[in-house]
Amino acid sequence: MMNHGGDGPAATNLRRDPFKTSVGKGAGQRRRQAAITIGKDRRDSVVRAKRLRRADPADHGDGDAMQLAAVAADDDVAYKLLEDSTAAAVLNLKNIGKKATPKKVEALQTLRRLLSCSAYPPVHVAVQAGVVPLLVDCLGFGASEDQLFEAAWCLTNIASGDPEQTRAVEPALPLLILHLGEKNPARVVEQCAWALGNVAGEAEDLRDWLLRQGALSALARNLSSPIITLVRTAAWALSNLIKGPNSRAATELMKMDGIVDTLVRLVSNGDDELVVEVAWVLVYVTSMSDLHSSQLIHAGLLPPLVARLAVSHHQPLLTPVLRTIGNIVASDNSKCDAVLAAGQSLPGGINGALARILETEHRTLQKEAAWVVSNLAAGSILHKRAVFNGGAVSPLLYLLATSTFDVRKEAAYALGNLCVAPRDQGEEGKPILEHLNVLVDRGCLMGFIALVKSPDLESARLGLQFLELVMRALPDGKGPKLVEKLDGIAAMEELQFHANEELRIMSNMLIDQYFGEDYGLEEEFVSGDARTQYGPEYPPWRRGGLAA
Amino acid sequence: MDLGKMKDGAEQTSPLFRAWVAARRPFKVDSPFFAAGNVERELVAKQISLEITEEEKKHIVQSEEEQLWEIFCPIVGCRTKLKGVGELESHYLSRHSATCSICTRVFPTTRLLNLHVSETHDSFFRAKVALNYPMYECLMEGCSARFLSDSNRHQHLVDKHHFPRSFRFHVKKHASQKQRQRQKAHQPSNSGSTPKQSKKNQRAKAASESAPDVHTDRKDYESTTPSETQNQDTPMDVDELVTAVSRLSTVSQDETPSVLRFGHRRGRGVPFGQKSRGSGRGRGRGRSGRDQEDDSPPLQSIST
Repeated sequence: MMNHGGDGPAATNLRRDPFKTSVGKGAGQRRRQAAITIGKDRRDSVVRAKRLRRADPADHGDGDAMQLAAVAADDDVAYKLLEDSTAAAVLNLKNIGKKATPKKVEALQTLRRLLSCSAYPPVHVAVQAGVVPLLVDCLGFGASEDQLFEAAWCLTNIASGDPEQTRAVEPALPLLILHLGEKNPARVVEQCAWALGNVAGEAEDLRDWLLRQGALSALARNLSSPIITLVRTAAWALSNLIKGPNSRAATELMKMDGIVDTLVRLVSNGDDELVVEVAWVLVYVTSMSDLHSSQLIHAGLLPPLVARLAVSHHQPLLTPVLRTIGNIVASDNSKCDAVLAAGQSLPGGINGALARILETEHRTLQKEAAWVVSNLAAGSILHKRAVFNGGAVSPLLYLLATSTFDVRKEAAYALGNLCVAPRDQGEEGKPILEHLNVLVDRGCLMGFIALVKSPDLESARLGLQFLELVMRALPDGKGPKLVEKLDGIAAMEELQFHANEELRIMSNMLIDQYFGEDYGLEEEFVSGDARTQYGPEYPPWRRGGLAA
Repeated sequence: MDLGKMKDGAEQTSPLFRAWVAARRPFKVDSPFFAAGNVERELVAKQISLEITEEEKKHIVQSEEEQLWEIFCPIVGCRTKLKGVGELESHYLSRHSATCSICTRVFPTTRLLNLHVSETHDSFFRAKVALNYPMYECLMEGCSARFLSDSNRHQHLVDKHHFPRSFRFHVKKHASQKQRQRQKAHQPSNSGSTPKQSKKNQRAKAASESAPDVHTDRKDYESTTPSETQNQDTPMDVDELVTAVSRLSTVSQDETPSVLRFGHRRGRGVPFGQKSRGSGRGRGRGRSGRDQEDDSPPLQSIST
């Protein structure tokens, strides 16, 4: 996951900071490369699904470690000191041996603080010094709560690092799984769940291994705990475990006794932070199988879920909730019915909620909300009407005209779907004029023409399809007139020699059909009653008359 | 395609043109469509871990208030000092919940506790083992493998479940130096200790716990609070013991008894009968306070 490519930004940093000690290899470069990686993460969508545990709220601190932390962020010399302290701490732990004494817990705690204190703790040093077998030895049954907790925390942070570091935690995995047992103190269970969540988030083969060792049920049982922080961490770890893409884990989860009711209950009653994690579990579960969605709907998931969508302002919560609803809605008409029904008790219903989200300034949310609307609008006539009248149209039009490319594409899908009858009635392609007229009057055509010009094949095709619809469906030839007025012909002509065959064919067909050689030609030879003979579809300049 | 057709409005285009079809578009979970949202999730999460959440704030406030509320654990024989309800609950769950009432070892699950009690304190179990029933169950839930010996099971754990080789389910408990001296002072009459489980304990007991400390050497059986002083370990087969003893590695010298004796005085009186599990057969119950000198444990059950 950490690609060590791209020396550019690193080199630039060096040049910019001549007063810093020369870095070369080591901590500074590592951190810079990590920063680059995060930047690449955004672009390449490679996601670090691991979480480092930093603060212990009750921790009144080991002064030294804290001080080291404050400095280490920028200072390579201090970071070296941190690394050295860590190596020393591991050695210290080793020398204490296998006895369980208070000294051992102290040593673990010191090590834990060193591994928690900076954004990039010196995990590699600890691993190289052989810390993992020592930590595994600390996890035996009967060890004190403090010992288990500290050891698990150290393992958590080790597992939050690079892939090799996460994998270095492997010897501890069976014991971590066993320590998820309900009879352990809650904070121990939580910490073990956290560590396992980090491991699960690393790679599919690790997920598979954990599943074979029974980690799923052990984790899921903790969702029933009365301790909220534990449930939250367990839910997060679970979401990492079932993310697949193989759907086996999600299926196994959904087969567990009582899990469906537990999930619904948590969504209904949980606080925001908890619902965020549970919702991510639901995202994976609902995207893997329609059967799962049905089970959840049956258990009453939709009313509380839609309610959250309607009222929450918490973006991390809206994302998975929206996506869960999106997955449900993307399946079939009956699920759409259920979603619409669930929203009925809320002012504005589901469409009002979606409209609210379309109006946030948050690009990802807008994009996914438009996607949801597009799937709702791909349903029955009733669904389309509900969407059309539900308040989503205005924000969609606005987004189509002004937003970034990926949002515009989804908005286009949504608006276009509103204008075409459902497939099932054998009237495929039949336009819904009442919707189409309104949208065209409100100026959506420009946005679609802009899509025609897009380099993305799918978008260009979308644009052409909508133009075709408009030109075919609008009465009295209004369509081609409008298209021409908005420079649609030019846009289509650009595609006439496009590399992609389908686009070439489509654009050529449209131009031939609606703007063929006869287009406007008759005008030139026609007298004043051209209008009566050929209708108003010819642009004024062709008619040789007044400008329109 | 002549102009005439156009005037009529909703005529069909040539069938070669793929007209707009309103269709649902589900995306797979790892579709690039969701990538942006996924990345944001993790970036936000990283920041969250740096802040103290509402929940944790509540916890801090609570724990500061509770510093003032101190009690001792109400369970007989456990004299742990606790501050506040949270600590009481946590302590109870960790010490008195899946705790072996015989040797006070704690386990993360009821199942593991049951396995421990069967394998360590149950002579019926031992008998079955001697008759070559595969009695040793795999520790991992969902794995139904069973084995004839602890070492076979251990090998399975290492091979199939990737346990570290150093892991031990059965531990040999060793009192600290101080405790042993104290015991010697208490009971000059009896010496020697019963060797515990076959494998050496590499995982020392938590010395930080107060009352439920484990004392490995035999206790004063007249005591009426057996939980504190009780220690009951039936030795396993002689064969196994021999092999085990020969495999002993001395990590720290002072923890290995210098004299090994076989045979023992069996403990009596399981204090919290309801807590210790296992087959319930072949175990002495309800005989607190009575010494028993015979070496071989009775095979018949004595009901509670």
